[in-house]
Amino acid sequence: MCSICGFPASPGHWTEAGGNTAPDRLRARFRRGQVLKSVLRSYGITAHDGGVIPGIQLATFSGAQVIVPDLEAVWPEAERLAGVVIDPLDPRFTRPESEGV
Amino acid sequence: MNQPAGEGRMRLTVVGGYLGSGKTTWLRHQLFERRFGRVQVLVNEAAETPVDDALLGQAEGLRVLSGGCVCCTARSELIAALRDLCDARSARDSRGARDEQIVLETSGLADPAPIVEAIRADPMLVYHIVVSEVVVIVDALHALAQLRSEPLGRKQIETADRLVLTKVDVADPGKLGRLIATLRQLNPAAPISAAVLGSPIDLPAVDPDAMPEPLPDLAGADMAPVFPARLMLGDDIDWTAFAVWLSALLHARGDDVLRVKGVVRTPAGRLLLQAVRRVVQSPEILPEQGPEGGREDGTIVVIGRGYEAADLSTSLRRFTRADG
Repeated sequence: MCSICGFPASPGHWTEAGGNTAPDRLRARFRRGQVLKSVLRSYGITAHDGGVIPGIQLATFSGAQVIVPDLEAVWPEAERLAGVVIDPLDPRFTRPESEGV
Repeated sequence: MNQPAGEGRMRLTVVGGYLGSGKTTWLRHQLFERRFGRVQVLVNEAAETPVDDALLGQAEGLRVLSGGCVCCTARSELIAALRDLCDARSARDSRGARDEQIVLETSGLADPAPIVEAIRADPMLVYHIVVSEVVVIVDALHALAQLRSEPLGRKQIETADRLVLTKVDVADPGKLGRLIATLRQLNPAAPISAAVLGSPIDLPAVDPDAMPEPLPDLAGADMAPVFPARLMLGDDIDWTAFAVWLSALLHARGDDVLRVKGVVRTPAGRLLLQAVRRVVQSPEILPEQGPEGGREDGTIVVIGRGYEAADLSTSLRRFTRADG
């Protein structure tokens, strides 16, 4: 835990279980940021995890920003920022890819 | 001659309980402590992918009945498996050590009552097998919600000879008191005990005056059927993207997705992934297996209702192909 910001407060979230070594974990964080960015773009939200600041940064195009500790916290915050429910089974994710997001 | 209880018949213990209530965890611990002695274990999985057999290694014999629930679609398969066990036992000299106990772990979607009836109604099995006990495992975290909405959850409780509460260490004491009162109302005859990861513990002290949860009448409720879906992830699964997708799915559809389980390959090794509604168990790293083992790695079973199975894989593919 960081002695200045007290982060992370609890030992790893289940989504972070796949990496044993520091490079694996960092790679996973970059990849996680990349996937979130792509998924949340259609909701008008950008996601960023640069591997330096702990947590995942979410921001709207209008400038609202928030940092959340893990993936579980991303979805309720993103819904609050976007004002709509985020559902991976929404047609935007389930229709054929040729039709685009 | 020294006959065991049941006039020389094999005793059958049926272990039931809702999806993700902790049946396999409980059974694994009982087998590890050899509570059942020499035992043959039958495991039924509603999905076509057996996952639980990776966890149960302490029995004399283990057979997985997959591809249907033994209380309905795969009942004949269960009867055939039990007859095989009876034949194998009869072929052995009764003076030597013979298997005297069978444990049937039902799928989370099974109602134990038709299983017990089917065994009693079978002209051969009735002479060889006596159903000694129906143990129903109850998830202290989720059971109240299940009992409110699922007729099956109530049937399982009503059929039990004995109820074992699991996950009591993380349950809220107030809710636990209400749950125990509700269970006593549904099945006053069944003794209730508690276990954490299979080890028995004392039932925590709860308010003796707690009121049972009012359970709505579900007789006419129109519920979509629960079905298992298989997601084939393959060996080269992008675990990180999968975790993003699953966390989003459980957030949005946690009430519909009743159970997720499977073994996934990650950079850290083989991960056993298990989720019950919105709660994901801390993934367990499984030992590596030989070339013939791990045949079901990369397959995730999602059991739930209210969505199309095809949408799960399309959506997952969209997430794993995301490139920022």
